[in-house]
Amino acid sequence: MAGLINNWLSAAEQLTVNEAQPAWLKAQRERAGMQLKSYQDPSRKLEYWRYADAGRLAEEKSSSGQLKDLGEVPQWVITISEHGYNLSENWPAHLQVSSIMDAKPEQLKDLDFDQETAANLSNTLLYSQGVGLIAAPSEDSGQVVVIYDFAEAGKWHYVRNQFVLSANSGITVHEQLSSGRINVVNVFDVNSKARLNRLQHINLNEQGAMVGFTCYELAEGAEVISMNWHQGGSLQHHIQQVNFNQSESLFKSGSINKSFDNNNITDIVNVNHHHKNNRSEVTHRSMAKDRSQIFNNAKALVAPGADQSEIEQDLKNILLSEDAKIFSKPELEVYADEVIAAHGSTIGALDEQSLFYLQSRGIPVAEARDIMIESFEQEAIIC
Amino acid sequence: MLTIKDIYAKAGDKDILKGLNLEVKPGEVHAIMGPNGAGKSTLGNLLAGMPYVEPQSGSVEFLGKDLLALDPEERAAEGVFLAFQYPVEIPGVNNMYFLRTALNAQRKYRGEEPVDSAQFLRMVKQKIKAMNMRDDLLKRPVNVGFSGGEKKRNEVFQMGVLEPRLAILDETDSGLDIDALKIVADGVNQLRSADRSFIIITHYQRLLDYIEPDFVHVLADGKIVKSGSKKLALELEEQGYGWLNQ
Repeated sequence: MAGLINNWLSAAEQLTVNEAQPAWLKAQRERAGMQLKSYQDPSRKLEYWRYADAGRLAEEKSSSGQLKDLGEVPQWVITISEHGYNLSENWPAHLQVSSIMDAKPEQLKDLDFDQETAANLSNTLLYSQGVGLIAAPSEDSGQVVVIYDFAEAGKWHYVRNQFVLSANSGITVHEQLSSGRINVVNVFDVNSKARLNRLQHINLNEQGAMVGFTCYELAEGAEVISMNWHQGGSLQHHIQQVNFNQSESLFKSGSINKSFDNNNITDIVNVNHHHKNNRSEVTHRSMAKDRSQIFNNAKALVAPGADQSEIEQDLKNILLSEDAKIFSKPELEVYADEVIAAHGSTIGALDEQSLFYLQSRGIPVAEARDIMIESFEQEAIIC
Repeated sequence: MLTIKDIYAKAGDKDILKGLNLEVKPGEVHAIMGPNGAGKSTLGNLLAGMPYVEPQSGSVEFLGKDLLALDPEERAAEGVFLAFQYPVEIPGVNNMYFLRTALNAQRKYRGEEPVDSAQFLRMVKQKIKAMNMRDDLLKRPVNVGFSGGEKKRNEVFQMGVLEPRLAILDETDSGLDIDALKIVADGVNQLRSADRSFIIITHYQRLLDYIEPDFVHVLADGKIVKSGSKKLALELEEQGYGWLNQ
């Protein structure tokens, strides 16, 4: 057993001493602890950590930053901090919120983590903040903004959220982090014909870090649009796992990953087509500069019998300096007979001809580069 | 306005321009014709500052300045405009935004006040109407999904908005049907003035039926081998370029 896992286990022991915890949570933590004891620390030996510096998980740094300006969209804000959670005023009746610590064990989704996702399993061991939200159908079309307010705190924080979208409901969940070091697991249970727009803005300063695991469970006719903006930070490691549990559902993911200076960003999307007639689209646009690096991985597994599945994976990447690194891997594992699947991945530099075109109209080269980057990003903006 | 003296230039590792001389005075329209591979597009790219084209010797003076010492954006702000043979597509950036950014960048270089969005909108709407083009062009991403003809029209429209002193049209007539050719030619003719000059690079005489040149030059093997009036274009149309090898 290695240093990082030891640290997590010690922290869990401290939690047991400091907090009164229900028996089910104690049992859950014990199981996670036993499982972690059999694993190695995350390192480059693992596929999910091969292109990221897992050593940054051991760092404890303070950080602060600014949240995105949310503009004029009607919104209901959940602020999650080390003191618990707060709801904004005028909270709507169709959204029920409670602390994740008050959830009943049968309401919590049991997530299956393995050696590759040991850093996410540590969340099961250590989470003590987060919310459970249940959305009922409503005509109200605002968005739920989830703000992680862990600024100025040096240590890692572990948050677990669970969102249940009732049949025929529809919500937008907008997750934001601008500072701190946070390990988050989100579960979205999207029931029949429910629609989820999930936005994620993670724009971190150089000390900030986020390890995220988001699981989507889609029922018949469900629709999930997931749009992600990831920029900066010492470490960003995002995994989205999608399970099509019935038919006629749609999952679309767009990601814009910007890694500058010495950032490490990993963006992994695993889609499991367990059933017929589902469609998944993954579009990533990534840019790396200076000594930063990015790992993009879109994987789709089509189970035997999951015919008429449709899959698109489109990963495009731009290297903006000689020392930057990007690793990009679309993967299709298909065991069904009738499937439409397309995947593509490119890594290149900014197109010189296009740059010259902009300059030839009088636009200075730095501004021309910005316009081209903006143009490149647009393709991944899906909502 | 423009004086090119004994210019030699490479495109990549190939010697393309080999001692080219050309003098363009204010208000003049010069047509450059010649066989494939003669160096016509290389000349246009050299003047606009394409990095792929490297001058080896000789000089280019534009309005009293050493043009070759300027970056492409500085040349544009000084008044050089190249209408591309193959205009590039820029997804996600609409024509209005692109053109206002370009115009204000040029104005900033010249020490002029920027044009605000309301002024700009009025100006482009006026211009696009005068040039007999459809105004949906303004809202669309630059050249994305445009037909070949639309791309060329967009180049001429950009020229109309940016009002250069020297416009170089690199085979702007290629791929155009007669109606589109007339629209493009009308656009160019509207911009003709005593202090604006044009270099029109073309393979065919037909464009010159609509845009009357003051001079026609034949460019072959990297230099101008013959110059004359519009009649020269008609002769080339009849005889082709075979006589160059005799």
